[in-house]
Amino acid sequence: MNCNECKENLVAHLEGALDETTALSCRNHIESCKECSETLRKYKSLQGELGKLGPITADVSLVDSVMNRIKYLEFQKEAREPERSTFMSKLLKLRWTMGLGAFAGIIGLILMVILPGANTMVAAEEAFARATKAVGQLEGINIKGRLRTSAHDNFSAIALDSDFVDIELWKEFSPKLRWKVEKPGRVAAMNGNSTILFIRPDYAYKIDGPTQSAFDTQWLHQIANVTESLNDELRAIKKHGWKSSVSQDNAGHTIVTVEARSGYSSDDYLKNSFFCTADTRRVYIFDDQTGLLVAAKIYLEDGKQPELLFELTQISYNPKFAANTFEIELPDDVNWNQDDFVLPDNSKYEALSSEQAARAFFAACAQENWDEASKFTTVTASLKTYLAGIKVISTGEHFTSAISLISGAQFVPYEIKLKNGEVKKHNLALKRHPQTKRWFVDGGI
Amino acid sequence: MMELSDKDLIERCLAGNSDCFRHLVLRYEKPLFAYLMRRLKDRQLATDAAQESLIRAYLGLSDLKKPEAFHSWLIGIGARVALEFYRAHKRQLGISGEIEEISSEKAQKFEEYQLDEMIAELPENQRQMILLRYYECYSCLQIAEALNVPVGTVTKTISRAYDSLRQKLQAEGFVFLEAQS
Repeated sequence: MNCNECKENLVAHLEGALDETTALSCRNHIESCKECSETLRKYKSLQGELGKLGPITADVSLVDSVMNRIKYLEFQKEAREPERSTFMSKLLKLRWTMGLGAFAGIIGLILMVILPGANTMVAAEEAFARATKAVGQLEGINIKGRLRTSAHDNFSAIALDSDFVDIELWKEFSPKLRWKVEKPGRVAAMNGNSTILFIRPDYAYKIDGPTQSAFDTQWLHQIANVTESLNDELRAIKKHGWKSSVSQDNAGHTIVTVEARSGYSSDDYLKNSFFCTADTRRVYIFDDQTGLLVAAKIYLEDGKQPELLFELTQISYNPKFAANTFEIELPDDVNWNQDDFVLPDNSKYEALSSEQAARAFFAACAQENWDEASKFTTVTASLKTYLAGIKVISTGEHFTSAISLISGAQFVPYEIKLKNGEVKKHNLALKRHPQTKRWFVDGGI
Repeated sequence: MMELSDKDLIERCLAGNSDCFRHLVLRYEKPLFAYLMRRLKDRQLATDAAQESLIRAYLGLSDLKKPEAFHSWLIGIGARVALEFYRAHKRQLGISGEIEEISSEKAQKFEEYQLDEMIAELPENQRQMILLRYYECYSCLQIAEALNVPVGTVTKTISRAYDSLRQKLQAEGFVFLEAQS
């Protein structure tokens, strides 16, 4: 074997991939050739370095999380793309001059144009003509409905195993934007100057300044801002190819149905947990005479039988609001949210991972060390009652959701035993506070 | 080779088939993670940085002039993300100074992450085999079966990759390899 032949076979020799005869011939050459022996030594050295690469990456699997985020980003991007100046967009702009009812009629027209079907154009033109006579500029709205959620959970949480709870929205568009949303257990209000969430009996959170919506109430505001939301629906139908249909019943209603998709993948933890992460069928019902939205229903579509999540039971246009409609009466001993104070030893908490923060929080609750627990959440009397003296059974590795890309939230699985003996298994949601950089508990208790 | 090349996959992504990016993630998540792990020295941060780098790569695909250089380009994105993460989490990492200062010590102390960069710059066939051999821990025989080529082609290609890496390391002034025995 000469040097060239040996060199060709060196890697195969190191890998044990040579037959016995060639291997022997190779070894003999290496023993007698300084240059090939030196090359072999370098190869071995390089192999040693390269061999360190595999073990640290053995359990790396980013595909699902990355692809979920990409799908979510694509979805968001498409939903935000500006309207092109098409026949449809020109029609959509008319809603401002013709008002809500007119837009309802236009919705019918456009969907019928999009969708195949006999006589749709005729029906659409009729709907359009009726709608032009409908109400003008909307100044306020009051919506009552019932929602399938847990009474103590937030305004957009879906809980199919719970009964319906009442939910109500008061919204003033003019002369000043103000709103309030209430359901048993909590109320949120924006009085034109600030936005407050009050979770009964003793916790409140304040955002300085006015907001369009806040505290997970956006989906309900969308129904109130019906012209805008239907505009969004139309764009989404076009962009995502969502199924939609228009029909009429015998009672003089035009029914628009939209099969909306959240963009969350089926293995995302938050899929179908909240309105914004759920695949839903939204049914809007318009009165043919007035052109007004008179009813709406939202169903969860998770591949099984559609389940009713929300039903609009009453809607009033331009109601008279009482002077204190947009104010919240707070008890004197309310605990204001405190998650933005920088601790003297803040860096210690900044350095924690979400998993470490979750463990530290539960450990503090177990020891009833409320000073320590308050570094992770606002400690209220009800929280103390609930988590005092818990026994931590386990905490797991953190995971993320498509929503993490926007909110930065991480979820840490946990299992705890409450003082009353009940075992609770759930995922603690944690976010890093933008100012303090500490993890704080954002849900999942 | 039965697998689609990086260039093919990127062209499909740009044509609107975003799901093709899945194959690129599968192909490069480990080398990217290894690189970030060595720079950041924290598993959770390296995972987050790898995800962020892959998302940025996806969003910037249309800016990539040479699709065949995807791996090298991705490592470049990883380097920038690592620097951002390093600065943001310096305290958590328990290290003072800047990440660039560490890399400037390369002549004195061999920094493995530079090997990642050098692998990323290898020709596609050599890189593919090095990745399979050392990140996926395939034997040469398994690589031959996976790529449907003779074992001799695998060992010769890896041999060329070794030569190329060795030359790059020597050109960078590393004495580490020479001192080993």
